[in-house]
Amino acid sequence: MTEQTKTRILVADDDRDILDLVVFKLTQAGFDTVAVTDGVAALAAVEADPPRLAILDIMMPGLSGIDVLRKIRENPAISDLDVILLTARARDSDVDTGFATGASDYVIKPFSPRELMHRVNTVLARGDR
Amino acid sequence: MSVEQAFLIAGILLGLACVSAVAVIVFARLTRTQVGARSALTLAPYRPALVAVASGEDEDGLAKASLSAVPAHIWVRLRPSVVAFLPKVRGVPAADLGAVMRAHGDVEEALRMLVSSSAVARARAAYLLGLVRDPDSVEQMLPLMGDPSADVRMVTARALGTIGNPTAAAGVLGGLRTQHGRIGLPAWVAAEALLAMGAEIGPALLAGLDSADPAVRNVCAVVAGHGTFYLAAPRLRVLLAADADSDVRASAAVALGQVGGADDAATLARHTDACEGAGLRRTCATALGEMGRTESLDTLSGLLVDEDRRLAELAADSLVRIGPEGIARLQEAVAPRNQGPAALAAGGALELAALRGQLAISGTGP
Repeated sequence: MTEQTKTRILVADDDRDILDLVVFKLTQAGFDTVAVTDGVAALAAVEADPPRLAILDIMMPGLSGIDVLRKIRENPAISDLDVILLTARARDSDVDTGFATGASDYVIKPFSPRELMHRVNTVLARGDR
Repeated sequence: MSVEQAFLIAGILLGLACVSAVAVIVFARLTRTQVGARSALTLAPYRPALVAVASGEDEDGLAKASLSAVPAHIWVRLRPSVVAFLPKVRGVPAADLGAVMRAHGDVEEALRMLVSSSAVARARAAYLLGLVRDPDSVEQMLPLMGDPSADVRMVTARALGTIGNPTAAAGVLGGLRTQHGRIGLPAWVAAEALLAMGAEIGPALLAGLDSADPAVRNVCAVVAGHGTFYLAAPRLRVLLAADADSDVRASAAVALGQVGGADDAATLARHTDACEGAGLRRTCATALGEMGRTESLDTLSGLLVDEDRRLAELAADSLVRIGPEGIARLQEAVAPRNQGPAALAAGGALELAALRGQLAISGTGP
């Protein structure tokens, strides 16, 4: 078993299509995945058992992806968790807000699943250094 | 019949009406849920193949082939799911989903519907062709930029932007013109579509900057700036200096702030003179900040005492954007010996910069 198969990634998106697609892609690449459909569940899952990486949609019911990211960064126990924001909000100010809040990367929808995997691997490799 | 009896009957009838309405709502919801569940059940066997294609995990092409071979009566139900995926992905998965649509004749049908007598059908067809991102459809879509329906023109422009074929740039710009009493395409829709077409729209953009239509010149100036078309700078200087339309001059100023060189700091500075209109002066002061060149320090520092206090505030913000040298000018302006109108504008900009953390970043914090 490679090291990659042990890596667990949380995916949070209220769009079932995106959720299925990203989970499928990650699973095919050998990652373990946890899928949730809202920000509250995402935060609860991260706090209960921190994954290696979280991929968060920004526009989610309950807590937005930015809110979840902010709470992650405020919690010393999980503050160093890598987070990729996956969102349709493509304005420069949105991207700025994402990075200013502490996102490790920012992927804009519509996205290339292959590019997303490159970003995931890059963020994971960066964290492993 | 007594009054009491009449009220009683009316009350009973009203109650029955309420109960009936609730029953109808519950029945409709149950029916919808059942239909949805049945449809989901029917489509469930195809969902893995759809997700595999949409995620780009169909290297052997089997999933795409299975979706392409779905019987017509199933495809009618499956099509909305495929269409729902199309705007969410790009690259190979989007192309493969488009190929599935094409295999079922949806692209051909959409091409036929581009000339339908129904505006809704034309708009839907253009939208679908945009989702499929088929560059071969562009030529047949371009006539819709002159469609009598504003909605069709707008959907088509967006679809052309999604396809991203630069040969459509001139057509999108043509849609901006107000013709035969029909108001042209909204400027922002055209600008977004053009920006999505990439750097190869350069020739169409340069031609558009020379258009007789101010709406076209305006959009081209905006796109030249946002798309960083440096080749447009000479033409932007001309528009800023002499265009008859004030919106075009302002857009040219903003664009020069984004793509201009060292010489353009002086060009923009000239247009902050008091002889210019307030709007253009403010736009040029902001553009100088966007440009971020130290050649603008004297001009912007001078504007801190301008009678137009909004202009003074914008000049102060621009000094912050220039960086440590600009911030030093602001700090000089707020020094105790220099109290006055300049200190007010400079102090406000420094406070905002401190809140944004820009003073710490530039190394000029207290």
